[in-house]
This record gives sequence, structure tokens and C-alpha cells, in this order.
Amino acid sequence: MTNAWRAAGITYIQYSNIAARVLREALRTDLRASAAKRNESHVKFTPWANGRPARK
Amino acid sequence: MSFVKNARLLAARGSRLAQKRSYSDDMKLTFAAANQTFYDAAVVRQIDVPSFSGSFGILAKHVPTLAVLKPGVVQVIDNEGKLTKYFVSSGSVTVNEDSSVQVLAEEAHNVADIDVSEARQLLSKYQSALSSAGSDKAKAEAAIAVEVAEALVKAAE
Repeated sequence: MTNAWRAAGITYIQYSNIAARVLREALRTDLRASAAKRNESHVKFTPWANGRPARK
Repeated sequence: MSFVKNARLLAARGSRLAQKRSYSDDMKLTFAAANQTFYDAAVVRQIDVPSFSGSFGILAKHVPTLAVLKPGVVQVIDNEGKLTKYFVSSGSVTVNEDSSVQVLAEEAHNVADIDVSEARQLLSKYQSALSSAGSDKAKAEAAIAVEVAEALVKAAE
């Protein structure tokens, strides 16, 4: 399985992200806005020390 | 001599394996994406999936398989013979020994939900992005988008 994108250092996860984004962009107008929300994902880190969140 | 012995051993093992495998006559499909669950262990007749190792159809008693999904159309034929088409961005397909099948996609939509004119515009947009891309990475990213847009246009037409 030698793909051009793999040679350029792109992983399947990144490939998948691009493919999913393009699919969302091609949806019917009424579905597109809510689908676009899935383009971004957020992760929140809270460090814990001694059983309590050290910082919010 | 040892070859004959090995062959006999292998044959014995093969028949034992065939007896052990509990192939089912019903194929249970679970088809889900981040946006929606389409089938949850529903019994269907046939599933056609696009994968990097080629597109293939799955019927009950299919040999256990793992494959990586490619952007394209997944066709599901239910027990009444009704065909439904979905577009999947990417993901994985698993066919298990008990004839259960999991199709897991990052994004999947009914083909009817694709806007053909929008897909065509995206195709030309990413084609020009591909020709103007500077780095190898930008070029590869644009090429992926073009590939997906082409598949979208083909599916929606």
C-alpha cells in the first residue's frame, strides 16, 4: 500500500480528517452548518496533584 | 515422507477448524460514524464496501476480514432486497467469524444528502489548490481532497 500521501508523511488519521472534512463541505446546505461543527475538536487538560486539580 | 506427514497433519487441522467455526446464516451489520448510527446489529443481506484493498461485497459466512475504508459508497441491501447507499469518508470494516460486520466511519451520510453542484465546486477548488500547492505535504493534502471530491461527484451524480 504505497500512497503518495503516505510518502509525504501523512498518516491515515490525517487522511481520514481531510476526507471527513471534504464530505462535510459537500453536504446539502441545511446539514452543512451542523456538520461543520465536527471539523474542530477540543481537548481540555486538567493537571491533578494530591487528589485535587492543581489548576483549572 | 515428512511432507506427506505434514500434509496429513494440516488436513486434519483444517477439518477441525472448519467444524469449530460457528458461521451464522444471518449477517448482523453495525454501521456507525461520528455523526450517526445507521445500523445497530441489524440483519442485512449484502454490504458492498470500498477499501484500499479494493471494493468488495460481503454476504453471510464471508471469511473474517479487516480492511481500511476508502472514500466512497457503501451499499447495504437489506433482507427485503432494498438498496441504500451511503458515502463514507474513511474508517474501518471488520468481518468476524460469527458473520457480524462492523463498518466504522469518521463521517458517513446518505448519498441523497450530498449536494452535487457543491461537490463539483469543491472538486475544481481543490484541483486548483493542488496545482498551486508548494510543499510536498500541501500537495499530498490537496490530492486527498481532490480524490474525495471526485468520489463525491461520482456518487452523487
